[in-house]
Amino acid sequence: MKKITGAKVVIETLIQENVEVIFGYPGGAVLPIYDEIFKQKKIRHILVRHEQAAVHAAEGYARSTGKVGVVLVTSGPGATNTVTGLTDAMMDSIPIVCISGQVPTHMIGNDAFQEADIVGITRPCTKHNYLVKDVTKLAGVIHSAFNICINGRPGPVLVDIPKDIQTFKTVYKGKKAYKDNRYYKPKVKPDDEKINEIVKLMTESSKPIFYVGGGVINSGTKASKELFRLIKKTSFPCTQTLMGLGAFPTSDNQFIGMLGMHGTYEANHSMHKSDLLLCVGARFDDRITGKVSGFSPESKKVHMDIDPSSFNKSVNVDLTVQGDLYRILSAINKRIEEKKIIFSKNKIKQWWIQINKWRSRNCLRYKNSKEIIKPQFALERLNKLTEKLNPFITTEVGQHQMWAAQFLSFNKPKHWMTSGGLGTMGYGLPAAMGVQIAHPKELVIDVAGEASILMNIQEMSTIKQYKLPVKIFILNNHYMGMVKQWQELLHGNRLSESYMESLPDFVKLAESFGARGIQVLKPNDLDEAINEMISIKGPVICDVVVDPNENCFPMIPSGSTHDQMLLGPNDKVEGEISEEGMVLV
Amino acid sequence: MVDNEPGVLARVVGLFSGRGYNIESLSVSEVDSDRFLSRVTIVTSGTKIIVDQIKAQLKKLIPVHDLLDITELDSFIGKELILIKLNVKSITRKSFEDVIHKTKTNILFDKGNEVIIQFSGSPSEIRSLLKKLKPFKIIEQTRSGLVSMALGTKYIKK
Repeated sequence: MKKITGAKVVIETLIQENVEVIFGYPGGAVLPIYDEIFKQKKIRHILVRHEQAAVHAAEGYARSTGKVGVVLVTSGPGATNTVTGLTDAMMDSIPIVCISGQVPTHMIGNDAFQEADIVGITRPCTKHNYLVKDVTKLAGVIHSAFNICINGRPGPVLVDIPKDIQTFKTVYKGKKAYKDNRYYKPKVKPDDEKINEIVKLMTESSKPIFYVGGGVINSGTKASKELFRLIKKTSFPCTQTLMGLGAFPTSDNQFIGMLGMHGTYEANHSMHKSDLLLCVGARFDDRITGKVSGFSPESKKVHMDIDPSSFNKSVNVDLTVQGDLYRILSAINKRIEEKKIIFSKNKIKQWWIQINKWRSRNCLRYKNSKEIIKPQFALERLNKLTEKLNPFITTEVGQHQMWAAQFLSFNKPKHWMTSGGLGTMGYGLPAAMGVQIAHPKELVIDVAGEASILMNIQEMSTIKQYKLPVKIFILNNHYMGMVKQWQELLHGNRLSESYMESLPDFVKLAESFGARGIQVLKPNDLDEAINEMISIKGPVICDVVVDPNENCFPMIPSGSTHDQMLLGPNDKVEGEISEEGMVLV
Repeated sequence: MVDNEPGVLARVVGLFSGRGYNIESLSVSEVDSDRFLSRVTIVTSGTKIIVDQIKAQLKKLIPVHDLLDITELDSFIGKELILIKLNVKSITRKSFEDVIHKTKTNILFDKGNEVIIQFSGSPSEIRSLLKKLKPFKIIEQTRSGLVSMALGTKYIKK
C-alpha cells in the first residue's frame, strides 16, 4: 500500500468520517495539514478570526445538524484559545473534534516557540484527548476521536499532532481497519423491567410532569418524535430546560414554559407540587433546582439519561434508567401500546386546573411603553414576524438570552443554540456562523446583548468573507444587564463596572464589514426594522435600543425554592437573601 | 484497571482534585505487559452519594476498563509496604530485636547503628508497628499506598 504523510492521513480520515466543513485558523505547527487542505476539494475550510470562535462555530454547526463539528488550530496560542469553546462544548455535551498542531516530538517539553501542553490543559475540559507520538497510530486515534465524541453523552475530543508526525509517512488502511474502541461502548439499551416501572408510576400519578432537557435533542429528531407521542398520549404537562427548548414544541398547550431560575411561574410551581417527576435527559442543574433541599419535595423522581454520572449527583431520585433516550422513550411508548394502557384525563384533571390557575398569573407579562422599546416587546415582535420562517436562533449570554428563551417559540429541535452550562458571552455570533454554514438558505438570528456581541465581534470579518447572511439582533440596554440585575438585587444597586461605556456605532460597524446596519429607537419603528432585516439577503446588525431599566422576571432568587419566585420589580425578596444564597452564582 | 498510557494517572488524579475529592492513598503499577494495563488502587472517603459520584466519574474516563469498589464486598485483603530507617543504639538493641522478631519484620540493612527494616501489612498493623517502634529513633520512613484484592469470585475485569 502507498505510504502517505501524517497530514494527508488527517484529511483522509476526516473524509472517511464524512466531514464536509472544518473551522480553523492556520499557524506554524499545522502548516503541513493546511497544505493538504489546499490540495483537495472535498472538505471546505472556514477561516475564523479567533480560535475560540472556531469552536463555537463548530458547536453551532453540530447542534443544528447533529453531526460532529470539526476544528483545526495551531499549537500554543491557537490551541489555548480553544479552551473556552471546548469547555462550553463539554458542559453542553456537543460533539466536537478539535485537531491542534504541536511542536515536533523531540522539542516537546523544551518550552519551544508556540508550545503549550494543550493535552494537559484540556484534560478536564474534554471528554477525552490525545497526543499522537507515532504516525502509525494517527488514523486510529482520529477515528476513535469521532467515535468517542458522538457516542454516549457527546462532548469534545482534542487530538494534538506534533509537526513531525504530520510529515512522517505511513499507510492508511481505511476506517474499518481501525476499530480499536473495544471498551468505549456506552450502554444505550434500557433495562426492560425499568420501563415497566416507569409505565406503572405514570399510571398511578395524579400530578405528573415531564422535565425535559437537552439530552433529547442530542438523541436526535427521532427521540423528539417519541417524546411528542408519549406526552400527547398521556396528556401530562411538560416543562423544558434552557437546553431542552424545542425537544417538545413550545407552542403546544401541554408545554407550560421553561423551568428554573427564570422559568415560568406555572412550570416551577408544577415542579414543586408534582407527585411524579419524569426527567428526560436533563441533569438537575443548579439553575433548575434552586435550593436543592427544597426541590420538588413531594414527587417520586425518575431520571432517564445516557450518562450514569448524572444520576443522584445533586438530587436523589427514586428510579434511574440508563440508555439512549430514543430507545427509552420508544420502549415506553411500545409498552403502553402493548398493554393497551389508556391514560385517563380525569385522573389529572385537578392537576391541570391547578396548573392553569398558576398559568393565569401570566408571569411573563410586562408593562409596555409607547416611548421606549421594552426588550420583551422586541422579542415578541421578532417572534411574530419570523415564526413562520422557522428560524435558527443563537444567543449570547445574559438577560437577552433569558428573554429569548421566554418569548421566542421553539417548535422544532436543533433550532435553538445557546450556551447553557458554561454561560459563554460571545458564543452567539460564531455559533450563528456555524449554523448558517450548515443551513445556507435558512434564516439564522443571533439574539445578542451589546456587551456579549463585542466579545467575538471580530467574526464580522468571517461573515463578510463567506457572505453569511446572519442577522444580529442586539437588545442594546447599555449595561451588562444580568450583572446589573444582580447588583440591584444583591449589592445595594451599586453598579460596579457593569455600564457599557464607549460602545461602537453598530450601524457604522456593520457597514465597515460590508453588512447592513439598522438602528431602532422607537417601538413604532420596530416591525419595519425587523421586516427589513429579514428581507435583506446579506448580514445585518439590527441595533435595538431598549429600556435599560427592564429586568428579567420571573426569577427565583439564589438560595430559594421553586415556590418562592419574584414575579416582577415590585416583588421583594422576603427578608434578607441568606448568606448561603449570596455566595451562589 | 486502566490503559497504561501517558497521562492516564493525571486523568485520574485530576478528576479527584478538580472535583474536590480527597485521595488518601494511591498505588499504581502495570499488571499486564502484553495488553498495557495498569491497576490503580485509590483510598478515598466520603458519603455514599459522593463515593457513587466518584465511581461514576471514574468509569466515564475513556482509559478506565473496570472499577471495583472493594469496600462493597464482604471481604478483601488490603496491604501496604513500609520501609523504616532507624538509629538503634546498642543499649536498646535487645528490645528492638524483640519488636522485630514478634512483628515478623524483615531487616534489609544493618550496619553500625543504622538499620533499615521492611514490613508489610494492613494499615492498622503498620500503625501498631510504628507505635511499638516509638522508643527507637526513626530517621525516615516511606510507605506505599494500599494494594488490595477481593476474596472469593469477585475480581476486576481487564
